[in-house]
Amino acid sequence: MIKLANVTKKYTIGNTEKVICDNVTAEFPAGVSLGILGRNGAGKSTLLRMIAGTIAPTSGRIIRRRKISWPLGFAGSFHGALTGAQNVRFVARVYGQDSDDLLAYVEDFAELGKALYMPVRTYSSGMKARLAFGISMGVHFDVYLVDEITAVGDANFQKKCLQVFREKLSDSDVYMVSHSNHTIKSYCKAGAVLEQGKMVVYDSVDEAIERHEANMAARSA
Amino acid sequence: MTDHLKTQFRVLYALIRREMTTRYGRSAGGYLWAVVEPMAFIAVLSVVFSEMSSVPPLGLDFPLFFATGYLGFSVYRTMAEVTSTAVKVNLTLLTYPKVTPLDTVLARAALQFVTNIVVCVLILGFILLRSRDSLHLDLLAVSGAFIGASVFGAGVGLVNITLFAHFPTWERIYNVINRPLFLISGVFFVPELLPTNLRELALYNPLLHFVSWFRSGFYPTYDASYVNYAFIGWSSIILLWLGVLFLERNRYRFLEL
Repeated sequence: MIKLANVTKKYTIGNTEKVICDNVTAEFPAGVSLGILGRNGAGKSTLLRMIAGTIAPTSGRIIRRRKISWPLGFAGSFHGALTGAQNVRFVARVYGQDSDDLLAYVEDFAELGKALYMPVRTYSSGMKARLAFGISMGVHFDVYLVDEITAVGDANFQKKCLQVFREKLSDSDVYMVSHSNHTIKSYCKAGAVLEQGKMVVYDSVDEAIERHEANMAARSA
Repeated sequence: MTDHLKTQFRVLYALIRREMTTRYGRSAGGYLWAVVEPMAFIAVLSVVFSEMSSVPPLGLDFPLFFATGYLGFSVYRTMAEVTSTAVKVNLTLLTYPKVTPLDTVLARAALQFVTNIVVCVLILGFILLRSRDSLHLDLLAVSGAFIGASVFGAGVGLVNITLFAHFPTWERIYNVINRPLFLISGVFFVPELLPTNLRELALYNPLLHFVSWFRSGFYPTYDASYVNYAFIGWSSIILLWLGVLFLERNRYRFLEL
C-alpha cells in the first residue's frame, strides 16, 4: 500500500507560485495498476518522483510499504563518465542484486553490443533508453513507476519492452504517466486525474480517462 | 534497522566503486599519479629551498620538512575539494531514491581518507628511511592531526556544497581566498619563528595549527606549542555539524534546482 497523506507540493518560480498538489490524500492498494492523467505541466512527473522519494512534498507525508522503483523512462539516471556496464553494476550494488547476473540480463535485453562497454555520455538517447529499460526490468520491484514508456526506442524495441513489462505485471504494479490513453488503458485498472492541484482517483481507468478528456475539452473551449 | 544499515553500506560501496573507476581507473597510471604528484612537488620545493638556505626551519632534512608540511596541508585540501563537489558530480545518481546527497559525500570522503593514508605512508616512509634526521615518530600526534585535518576538510567541503549551490558568488570568492591559503598555513614555515604580531594573526588560520601538529609528530624536538586544540576541535565539529544540517535540509532540492 502506498498512501499520500495531506500532500502539498508547491514551486515558486520567480514571483509566481505553482501548486502541483494541494492537500492531496489518497491510498493506492497493492494489486492495482494506476494511470496518472493530467494536462502538460500539471505535475504528473513530479508526483511520480515524490512517490519514488527522490523529491519531497512541501508538506504532508507519503507512506510507502512496498519496494518502489526509481521513475523509469528518464534516461537521466546514468553517470556519463561510467560505461553502460559500470552503470549496470552500480544499480545492482545499490539494490542488492548480483552484478554479473544483472549485467548478463541487460546485455541480452538492451542489445547494445560493444557500446555497453563505452561511456554513457557517448550514447544516443535511444541507446540510453535501451539501457534504462534493460536495467529496470532486471531488478524486481513491487511497483514500477513509469514516465512515458512510449517515448522509448524504436518500434521493435518498444514492442519488446511492453511484452516484458506485461510479464512483470503478473506480480507487480505499475504507476504510469503517458500521453497515450491507449497505453494507459492497456496496463492500468485505476486512474488518477491531476488537475489544478487536486487529484481524484477513479477505480475504473475508463472513468478517469473520460474525466481527463472532459477537463481538456473545458480548457480548450 | 539492520536492513536499513545493510542498504546504507551497499549504497556506499556502490558509490566508492563508481568513484574509483572514474578517478583512478581510467588510465593505468591513475593510482600512481596520486603518489607521484605530491612527491614531485615536495622534490621541487626541497631543491629550490636548499639552494636558498643551508638548513630548513626544523631539522636538517628539506624533503622531510616540506613533506610533513605539504602532506599535512594536502589532507585538508583534498578532503575539502572532493567533498564540496560530491553532490554535483553524482547528481544523476540521486535519481535512485536510495542514494542520498550525504551518501555521495560519505563515499568520497572515505575513499579520499584511505587514499591520503596510502599517499602519506608511502611518501613519508620513503623520506624517513633515507632521512639524515634521527627517526622519531609520535604516532598519536600524526594520526590526531591527520584525522583532525580530514574532519575539518570534510566540514569545509560539506558547508560549501550548500553554499555553492545557493550563492554562486561565494564559490568565486572562496576560490580567491583559498589560493593563498597554502602560503600561510605553515607549509614553508613554523609559527614559532614568526614575529609576535604576525604569528598572532597567522594563528587565526586553523590550518596552521593542523600542519604544525602534524609536523610535530616527526620532530622530537618540536612540540608545536602554539597549537590550540580546543580552537581547531570546535571549528571542525561546528563546520561538520553545519554542513550535515545544511545538506539534510536541502536533501531533496538538488534534483529540483
